[in-house]
Amino acid sequence: MDRRMAAIIKKDLRGILANRQMLCTLLAVPAVMTIILPAVFLSILHFAPEEMGDLEKLLEMLPLAEQDKDVQINMIRLILNYILPVFFLMIPIMSSSVMAAASFAGEKEKRTLETLLYSPLSVKQIFTAKVAASFFLSMSVSSVSFFAMLAVLETGARLTAGSFIMPDRKWLLVLLLISPSISLIAITLTVRISAKAKSVEAAQQGAVFLLLPVILLLVGQFTGVLLVGTWLLCAVGALCAGMALWLLKRSMKGFRYETLLKP
Amino acid sequence: MKAVMLDHVSKIYADGKIAVDSVSLCLEPGEIFGFLGPNGAGKTTTVKLLNGMLIPTQGTCTVFGINPAVQPEKMHAFSGVVTEHAQMYDTLTGLQNLIFYGTVFGLGASESEKRGKKLLRELELTEAENKKLSAYSTGMRQRLSLARALLHEPKILFLDEPTSGLDPESAKNVHAMICRLAEEKGITIFLCTHQLRYAEEICTRYGLLADGRLLAEGTLDALRKRLCSGITICIEADGAPKGLLCRQVRSSVFEVEADSRDEIPELVRRFVEAGKSVYQVSATEPSLENIYFAMTKMYAQNPSGD
Repeated sequence: MDRRMAAIIKKDLRGILANRQMLCTLLAVPAVMTIILPAVFLSILHFAPEEMGDLEKLLEMLPLAEQDKDVQINMIRLILNYILPVFFLMIPIMSSSVMAAASFAGEKEKRTLETLLYSPLSVKQIFTAKVAASFFLSMSVSSVSFFAMLAVLETGARLTAGSFIMPDRKWLLVLLLISPSISLIAITLTVRISAKAKSVEAAQQGAVFLLLPVILLLVGQFTGVLLVGTWLLCAVGALCAGMALWLLKRSMKGFRYETLLKP
Repeated sequence: MKAVMLDHVSKIYADGKIAVDSVSLCLEPGEIFGFLGPNGAGKTTTVKLLNGMLIPTQGTCTVFGINPAVQPEKMHAFSGVVTEHAQMYDTLTGLQNLIFYGTVFGLGASESEKRGKKLLRELELTEAENKKLSAYSTGMRQRLSLARALLHEPKILFLDEPTSGLDPESAKNVHAMICRLAEEKGITIFLCTHQLRYAEEICTRYGLLADGRLLAEGTLDALRKRLCSGITICIEADGAPKGLLCRQVRSSVFEVEADSRDEIPELVRRFVEAGKSVYQVSATEPSLENIYFAMTKMYAQNPSGD
């Protein structure tokens, strides 16, 4: 990574950490998805009646990798490996969008974009630095969120069923392939919107308008993908990664000083 | 090699507005060029064209042989720009801003800090170097922008109203610094300003712009010759001789247009022979301000130049 681009990444990350409002928005979704939601699931499980005949039948129908005699263990396994990945994928999308929306629109609002464009960095390099900053933040938030979620669930499993539960290997695919790819798609689209938006709010609204159908489509189908098998998950991941790289490459071509500075 | 060359450059915006209309200009290295014109004349658009921020609709421009529309990054490496639209980060301190921009221009952090501190000292901002930019006044921001533009030791500086918002003393210091940069370091200065008196003091050549058209360009003497060849003789006396073509500007002050200073003795003789007491005589050439207003007035009366 070019030292000059690294300076922009560092500055952008410092900027978001110094902005309390943006930081709260950034942490709200991960907190709900990885701490509150698993805690609610576990509480329901804990206080549910011991006889769960229908639930047992449902669990038997699901192609869970390993079935335990204990229904509660099976339920926690279902939550960890089949339900939470769906919600977890919203974290990179939402967290990356918050920063990506502010990337160009924020600089425009503060009238610092023109100063940055007068530097010896090309628009492509500035765009890459902006995307990289959002991507780094998104991946950091996702990683921390994953371990926070795991801590909540393992504590719950220990208290409820008296044992720990290992995350499925599909989590590796989610963490290392699908989550980064989806994050990159969301960032590229949001940075593009941000470059054309007049304010951060307009960029965020535009991003939500564009990303909401994507989220719904993705989340709606993702549990099914998890149930079908690892190979399909790999294919979906590869498809997302390919799409992310194609979008990134295509977006870089369309940027010009004149369009960026358009009032 | 010319420092700046504009060859019949025009810029027409998408809404059809002609911001710059076939402007041709040449600047030698080390010149301080005063680009003058009213608001909306096209000065800022020209600066943006010269920095590759805008692409000319017609014509070409080069800065030290580089076409900014084709290789803007290459050109930015040796140019510095100060405009009111190019601000810095409020959340960072003055010094942190300079270190950031220094790094973006390829300098190391320690080198950026060293140069930044030196410039802050020269621009009398040392006391504010650790204050966040949000606490800076307009004048301090303007001086910090100048420090930012000078950080990478550019060959050419584009300054769009660099002293707007500065108090007279700070403005004087900034102008002195601009002169020093051109004299000692040979930096070419492209200065867009409304402050005609300061421009007259520091610029070596001028370009007068109105409605995107270059009305005139050249040294002050060349502009004077173009507008009028003579001088104005100002006489303070207790009256004017009958039949003398003069303009009474105050109760006992009269102005006479003349071709040269040689006419002064004859003029004074006429006053004395008419029995008038002469207290003071001075000859003035048209100032840049006079030329600017005369030319913009002429243009307003006859925009087509017919």
